[in-house]
Amino acid sequence: MKELKELKKVEQYVDQCMKCGFCTFFCPVYQEEREETAVARGKNYLTKLILKGEQEFTDELGEIIGKCLLCKRCVVNCPAKAQIDRVVVAARAEMVKNKGLGFIKDFAFRKVMKNRKTFGKYVKLARAFQWMLPKTEGKIRHLPDFLKALGQGRNIPELADTFLRDRVKEVYKPQDGKEPKMRVGFFMGCATDFVYPDLGLKIIDFLTRHGIEVIVPQAQNCCGAAIYFSGDFETGRELAAANIKAFDNVDYIVTGCATCSSTLKDYAKYLPDNEEQQKAYEAFAKKVKDSTEFIIDVMQLKPEDFKLKKEFEGKTATWHDPCHLIRYQNIKDQPRAILKGLKGLKFVEMPNADLCCGMGGSFSIYHYDITKKIADKKMDGIKATNADIVVTACPGCMINLIDNTLRNKMPQKVYHLLELVE
Amino acid sequence: MIKETIIAELQKIVGKDNVLTSPEALKAYSYDGTTSWIHEPDVVVFPTSTKEISEIMKLANREKIPVTPRGGGTNVSGGSIPIKGGIVLCTTKMNKILNIDKENLTATVEPGVVLMDLNIRLAKEGLFFPPDPQSFLGATLGGIIAENAGGPACVKYGVTKQYILGLEVVLPTGDIVNLGGRTLKNVVGYDLIHLFISSEGTLGVITKAELKLNPMPPARKTIMAVYDDLSKAGESVFRVLENGVIPGKIELLDNWVIRRIEEMMPLGLPQDAAAVLLFETDGIPEAVEKETEKILEITKKYGAVDVRAAKDMDEANKYWLARRAGFAAVFGKAPTVMAEDITVPRGKIPDFIKKCTDIAKKYNVEMCILGHAGDGNLHPSILSDIKNKDLYERSVKAMDEIFEGAVEFGGVLSGEHGIGLEKAKFFKRMTDPVVIKIMKDIKALFDPNNIMNPGKIWD
Repeated sequence: MKELKELKKVEQYVDQCMKCGFCTFFCPVYQEEREETAVARGKNYLTKLILKGEQEFTDELGEIIGKCLLCKRCVVNCPAKAQIDRVVVAARAEMVKNKGLGFIKDFAFRKVMKNRKTFGKYVKLARAFQWMLPKTEGKIRHLPDFLKALGQGRNIPELADTFLRDRVKEVYKPQDGKEPKMRVGFFMGCATDFVYPDLGLKIIDFLTRHGIEVIVPQAQNCCGAAIYFSGDFETGRELAAANIKAFDNVDYIVTGCATCSSTLKDYAKYLPDNEEQQKAYEAFAKKVKDSTEFIIDVMQLKPEDFKLKKEFEGKTATWHDPCHLIRYQNIKDQPRAILKGLKGLKFVEMPNADLCCGMGGSFSIYHYDITKKIADKKMDGIKATNADIVVTACPGCMINLIDNTLRNKMPQKVYHLLELVE
Repeated sequence: MIKETIIAELQKIVGKDNVLTSPEALKAYSYDGTTSWIHEPDVVVFPTSTKEISEIMKLANREKIPVTPRGGGTNVSGGSIPIKGGIVLCTTKMNKILNIDKENLTATVEPGVVLMDLNIRLAKEGLFFPPDPQSFLGATLGGIIAENAGGPACVKYGVTKQYILGLEVVLPTGDIVNLGGRTLKNVVGYDLIHLFISSEGTLGVITKAELKLNPMPPARKTIMAVYDDLSKAGESVFRVLENGVIPGKIELLDNWVIRRIEEMMPLGLPQDAAAVLLFETDGIPEAVEKETEKILEITKKYGAVDVRAAKDMDEANKYWLARRAGFAAVFGKAPTVMAEDITVPRGKIPDFIKKCTDIAKKYNVEMCILGHAGDGNLHPSILSDIKNKDLYERSVKAMDEIFEGAVEFGGVLSGEHGIGLEKAKFFKRMTDPVVIKIMKDIKALFDPNNIMNPGKIWD
């Protein structure tokens, strides 16, 4: 009998599932596949069999537990409140432990490495990301997944000429020259660092204009989403330790990336291996705030405090709820409060605003065909609003929304919420 | 084990992608919504047309391979468990709504359409399909029809059989037949369509259905009545009906269920109440107002200690959320839950509730009751543990007596779940042998090789 340490931690959730099958209705992947292995109930049942010693860590099992967006729609709608996201992530961790890290590596590279045309670009990416890899690990494996999806006919964002980390200072004082109201650590996140550096500078500027001191520790690392959600808990813990250390001297840690904010907060949920880690992760989580949450709940800015950038005047905007905001962090009203506060901008809710865009990190690399189908439903919602722009607060979603608006030849441009704010 | 050549033939019929044989996939098709019935099929196939289903059935009939039809796999009687192995014929990829006819208030659907998806689509036309099994988020129309499912709306609207005008069915021999039609009245020969409704997948595969629809009621209102005595709640059910009001729904939650729901999600239900009845009136606004007043008056008169009409949709939704959470509340609480769907004539509800409570006491088992009280369909549930021999034996005995009690009161074993595997034992004991013989003969007529969902109902 195997040790199954990670699965044992979530056994209570495994047992909570009563097989009612309601998750089939909410699961974006099941809605496309209509096969039981796609949905939480099936994945959970197989996990139960692992725990009973009746299921091995086969490649097929890897495929099945890999085929989940971790969008948590099943979780928030589960009558038994079973936290199947944790079950899936723990099952992936066991998979990695039992099959070795090659499990992820093989998966990640099967499709990527084949395409020679984009290989050059890929190498450039690999170089860009080397800094964040633990020394003992294979390097390229840990590239954040959305940047690996090359060679599948996908619209990939251009890498910035100069990355954010090469453009930022270590400390930014409040612009009014007064004593800072608080000291905030800015967490860049990979997508902002490499693809949207201007967004990062924009957020820093916004904060310092409101009397906040911002520090940007160069020692900060990747949040770890792509890594620990794939089941590599060991590296996940290393990243957690690095980030906790990098931000030990701030009142809050703020990021413009929904996935990063949720991932940083959730170290406590997915990763702890002992009491000490649990405590450290929990203390860290308390300081982490998503930018939208920080602006409304901590800075307590009111509608009149927001000014719309000139270029957006008269435009109609619609909002996409990132999974990592609405379901992982229960952040729904804050971004809407900002949007509604922007005078001169018309805000329209899209149908199914909370529907996952289909990205799901690594999911979209291995299952790009399903990603496209899910995204098409999202696009239908966007089209129904007749909005000029789609606004969200997750660079991961942005990359996928841009790809799919372009693919569907839609006129809508995609923005991060804070790009709209003066 | 099924032969490789058969798999190849199936792949030829439905395409490689629509045939699953991996051990993991087979495990994922070994269960349904029941607690403990598990059996793996040898292969899972996903047909996408009637013709494909016909070919699958011809092949299975020739080779005498069991075929278990399956939709969303949400049923709670074991009906879609492939208990004899063989082929699971899964209709989830046949999920097109083929037509909505507003003039005739009908819809034509494929068997894999999920009820919730249908009702979302119908709502756009101001229509709805009234039968409302509470598994509507996952249940498919094929399964709903095969199980003759019902739900809370039964008290006013009836069950599935009242809403099926026509069916296209593939017989176990592969023949395709059309039964019924598109009209409300139809007395052309034997009413064969109703053989298939509640056939539990033992006579053929439903491949298309013509549904009767209702216009969406423009107004609805929810009333919660609180009782300090469970039997009094039971009495209020028929008193309301007797006094001329037929609400859209009447649901019952007992104290145990209320407390457990509050534990799961605090909704502000009265935790010291012995029982709560939830009423929903629906129809034109004036009628809804009048009926609501009447329900408030009658329930007060017959012993409710507190009655309130939900002031808005939010409050109403809260109560119905609680009701929907009921089953989760029960099933999450014990390793083995014996939940039955015994149905008694409505006037007998108070007596039956008393009987259940007495039996639970006698055998010293934990029991709770929730259900569609409005139609006499209660779900007495015993919280047990199959691993605890003593407790489990007492639970089985208690449930046996509850069944016997229900039958004494003129009730039936199952109101809406069907017999399947779960109640086969009681079915044999409590059904006239002559009737069982007729049923078996009918089965043999349609399915001479006994390949269609074998092992169910009487085996």
